[in-house]
Amino acid sequence: MNAPHASGLPATRREFLGRTAKGIGLLAFSGFAPEFLVRSTLGAPAPETDRRILVVIQLAGGNDGLNTLVPFEDANYYRLRPTLALAKDKVLRAGDTHGLHPACTALHRLLQDGKLAIVQNVGYPNPNRSHFRSTEIWETGSSSDEFAPTGWVGRFLDHACAGQPADAHDPLAIHLTGTGVPQSFMAEKSHPIFGLGGGLANRRENEENRRLLEAMAGNAPADASGNATFLSQTLMDTLVTEKKVQRVIGDYRPSSPYPGSTFASSLRSIAALIAARLPTRVYYATLSGFDTHSGQGPQHANLLTQLSEGLAAFQKDLEALRLADQVLTMTFSEFGRRPSENESRGTDHGTAAPLFVMGSKVKAGLHGTAPDLDLKRNQDLTFSTDFRQVYATAMEQWMQCPSAAVVPGPFAPLGFV
Amino acid sequence: MNPSLAPQEAWAPLPASDWNAETARHLLRRAGWTARPDDVARAVSAGLPATLARLFPDPAPALPKPRLVARYEATAPDMQRNAGKGSTEERQRAQRELQDRSRVGLQELSLRWLEYAAQPESAAAAKWVLFLSDVYVVSAEKVRNPAVVHRHFEILGEFGFGPAPALAKAVSRSPAMVVYLDLAQSQLKAPNENFARELFELFVLGEGNYTEADIKEAARAFTGYRVRPEGGFRFDDRQHDKSVKTVFGTSGAFTGDDVIDLAFNQPAAATYLPRELAKFYLCETPLPAAHLAALGDAWRADALDLRALQRRFFGSRLFFAPEFRGNLIKCPVQYLLGLVQDWSLAVAPLPRLTLTPLRQMGQVPFQPPNVRGWVGGRQWINSATIAARRQLAETLFAPLDENSLNADELLDLVAARTNGAGAFTVPDDAFARFRSLAPDAAVAALAADLLPGPVAPATVSQLSQYVAAGGPDPGQRLRRLRRAAVTLAQSPAYQLC
Repeated sequence: MNAPHASGLPATRREFLGRTAKGIGLLAFSGFAPEFLVRSTLGAPAPETDRRILVVIQLAGGNDGLNTLVPFEDANYYRLRPTLALAKDKVLRAGDTHGLHPACTALHRLLQDGKLAIVQNVGYPNPNRSHFRSTEIWETGSSSDEFAPTGWVGRFLDHACAGQPADAHDPLAIHLTGTGVPQSFMAEKSHPIFGLGGGLANRRENEENRRLLEAMAGNAPADASGNATFLSQTLMDTLVTEKKVQRVIGDYRPSSPYPGSTFASSLRSIAALIAARLPTRVYYATLSGFDTHSGQGPQHANLLTQLSEGLAAFQKDLEALRLADQVLTMTFSEFGRRPSENESRGTDHGTAAPLFVMGSKVKAGLHGTAPDLDLKRNQDLTFSTDFRQVYATAMEQWMQCPSAAVVPGPFAPLGFV
Repeated sequence: MNPSLAPQEAWAPLPASDWNAETARHLLRRAGWTARPDDVARAVSAGLPATLARLFPDPAPALPKPRLVARYEATAPDMQRNAGKGSTEERQRAQRELQDRSRVGLQELSLRWLEYAAQPESAAAAKWVLFLSDVYVVSAEKVRNPAVVHRHFEILGEFGFGPAPALAKAVSRSPAMVVYLDLAQSQLKAPNENFARELFELFVLGEGNYTEADIKEAARAFTGYRVRPEGGFRFDDRQHDKSVKTVFGTSGAFTGDDVIDLAFNQPAAATYLPRELAKFYLCETPLPAAHLAALGDAWRADALDLRALQRRFFGSRLFFAPEFRGNLIKCPVQYLLGLVQDWSLAVAPLPRLTLTPLRQMGQVPFQPPNVRGWVGGRQWINSATIAARRQLAETLFAPLDENSLNADELLDLVAARTNGAGAFTVPDDAFARFRSLAPDAAVAALAADLLPGPVAPATVSQLSQYVAAGGPDPGQRLRRLRRAAVTLAQSPAYQLC
C-alpha cells in the first residue's frame, strides 16, 4: 500500500514527505496532486451537484441600517438625521415607504429581478455596543448574557459533518477575512477549515511564503513518530490545500468582469472555488470600514457601492456558471448605528439594522417590520427580528439542517427563502 | 518516550560540566517562553542554580490588580443589591451593567496578565502559575467575576512556591474555586460532591486512588464554605458538618483542611503533581512509573514543597536528557509570548489583535474548556490552529494597520504608548544585526536564535538562497530577511520548544 502509485506519485503523506525531503519538492508535482490528496478533491469532482452553499458576508464596523434601507416617508428619519438623511427623490424604491441608498443601484436591480431579500430591523435583546462583544454575539449566535464557546457555522459543521472521515482534506468551510478564523467557525469537533488572505495585495509574499514553508515542512525530521513530523504533516496538508485553492483561483476566468475592489476579488475567489466543485459548504468574506463616526456620507456611499457591485457581479457569475441555484449569500454586521446623527456628521454605535439575503431562490422584497423611529435624541432602535431567526431560517430552509442544532430556540423561521 | 536515564540517576542534579548554551536554551524555553541570546549568555555565566533562583524569585512577582478589575470589585456588591430592586426593567438593566463590567474587567485582566507574563522577570513564575492553574482549574466563564479570578491567580502565586498541602488549602478557600466547583451551594443537609471529587481526582491523587465513599465523606468536611457579596471567602459554621467522617480508612470530625492533609498523606499524592508537571514541561506522554516514583520519593522527603520540586525537576539530569529537547509543542500562550519576547515587542493591548488570535489558536486565558484544563500537546495542532499561528506571525511582522482600528482600539493604543509601551509589531531596526551579515550568515543567526535544537542545514540553505536572490539592494534585503523571519516563526520547528 505504501508502494509508489502507478502514476509515479506518492500514495501516502509520509511517502510524500519523504520525497520532499529528498529535494523533489512539492513544486515537482506541478499540475498533479499526490494520490492521497486526490481522493475526494478537485481532481475528482464530488458527485453531488445539488449541494447547497451558504456565503456569509461580514460588514465589519457596524453598518448604518437607516441609510442603507431608507424610510423616506418617515418624518422622524429626517428629524433625526438633519445632515445625513437621504432625500426621498434620491433613494431607490423598495416599496412605498422604503428605498435603498443611491449607491445600491446594482442591488436594486437584483431586488427588481427577484433575487434580493431584505430582512428589516434585525438585532437581539439587550444589545451590546462594543464591536468586539457584539461581533462575538453574532458569530456565536448566542444571547448577550451568554458566552458560547462555539460559533453558529461551527455548530452547523459539527452537525452536518458527523460521521465524515476526520482526515478529509477538502475544506468544509473557507474564510477570506485575512485576519484568521472567524469566531463563527469555532466548532466542538475538528473540521477542515481553511483561510485565505482577503485580497491579492500580498500575492507575491504569499507565494514566497508558501514555497519557503513547503521547504521547511519538507525537511523531514528523523523521528517519524515525533511531534516534529506530526507538525510537518499537518502544515504540509494545509499548504497543499492552500496551493490547490490558489491554483483554482489563479486559473479562474469569470465570464464577466468583477469590479476592482478587494471585496469583489474575495467574491471572485469564492465563485472560482464553487465553480471547481469544492465540497465546501460555507464561505465567509469581510468588507470592513463601516464604523462611520464622522464624515459618514461619502464613506458609507463608497462602502455600499463596493458591497452592491461586488454582490451583483458574484450573482451574475454564479448564473453564468449555472450554479446560482445552489448558493445563498447573506450579510451581517455587529450592530446598526444610532438613529440620531452625531455632531461630526457621523453616527455612533447602535443596535438593529437590516441585512441582505441574495440568491436565485430567495423570496425577494422586504421581510419583517421596519423599526419605529418615534425616538428621543440618542435613543436606539428596538429590534423586531432576532438575528437567530435569520440563522434558523438559513439552516432549516436552505442548508437542510435542523436549526436547533445551531441556534437552540425556538426561533420562528422567516420567509426569505 | 523512554528516558535514557535509569530512575535512580534521573533526578540527580545536572553536572556543572553539562551546563552550556544548549542546556541553558532548553531550560529557558521550557521554564519560560523563549531563550533570547542575551539571556542564554547570562544563564551560562551564572550557572544553573543561580539561573533557577533568578527564574523563580522569592517572592514571585505578582500581577497588580488591574484598574477595571478593582472597579468591578468596588462596585459589584452595590450593583448586585440594585439588581434585586425596582421594576423588572431596572433590575435587568442593573444585571446587564454588572455583566458588562465583568466582561471588560476580564478582558483587561487577560491583557494585563499577558503583558505581565511577557516581562522577562516574571515569565517563568507566570508560566508556573499557568501550570498550577491547569491543575487547580477555574473558568472565568462560570465564575463571571474578574476580581475573584484575579484573586485565584494571586493565591496560586502566593502559595504555589511553598508546601503543596498549604496551596490546596488556600485554593479550597479561593472564592473563584468555591463558586466554580459549587462549594458555595454545598449544604449541611445536602453536601455537594463536586469539589471533593475534583480534589481527589484532578488536584491531588488522580483516578483510582480513592473510593466513591471517600468522596461522599470528604464532601461533608467541605460544607460551610461561602463567598461574601464583595467576593471574599467566608466560613459559615452553621452550615458545616461537624460529625465524624471516614476518609481513606481514618475517622474523625474532620474539617476540609484535615481532608486535604489526609489526601496528601496518601502515597499517590507524591507522584500525582510530578506527573502533571512532567506532562506540562517535559513530554506529553507520561513518564514511566518508576521515574515518577523516584521523583515522588524525593518530593515526599522534601515535605511536598513546591519550590524544592521545582529546583529538583528543572535542575535534574532527566530534564536535560537529549530525548526531551526541542520536541514539546508550545501552547498558544507560549507561541504568542515567545514571539513577543524574541522580537522585544509589547503585547498589543487590543483584544482583537491579542485575545482573538489566542482564541483562534485554542487557548483563551482564564477560560479553559473544562475542569480538566487544556489537554495540550498535539491537541493544540490542527489545520485551523496551524493557520491561526501562521496568521499571528504575519500580523506581528507586518506594520500595525491603524486605519483598520476602530475608535476604542485607537484610544487603548494611545494609552499604552503613553505608558511607555514599545513596538507592537516587529520594527525594521530589529533586523539591524542581521542586515550587515551575508545572507547565509544572517539566516543561520536568525535560525540559531529562534529554533530549538540543531537547525536543519537544508533550512538555512533554502532560506539563505531566498534572501540572496533579492540581490544587494538594502530594501529588498530587509524585505526578504523579514520574510525569512516570518517563515521561521511559522515553521514546524518553531512550534516546538
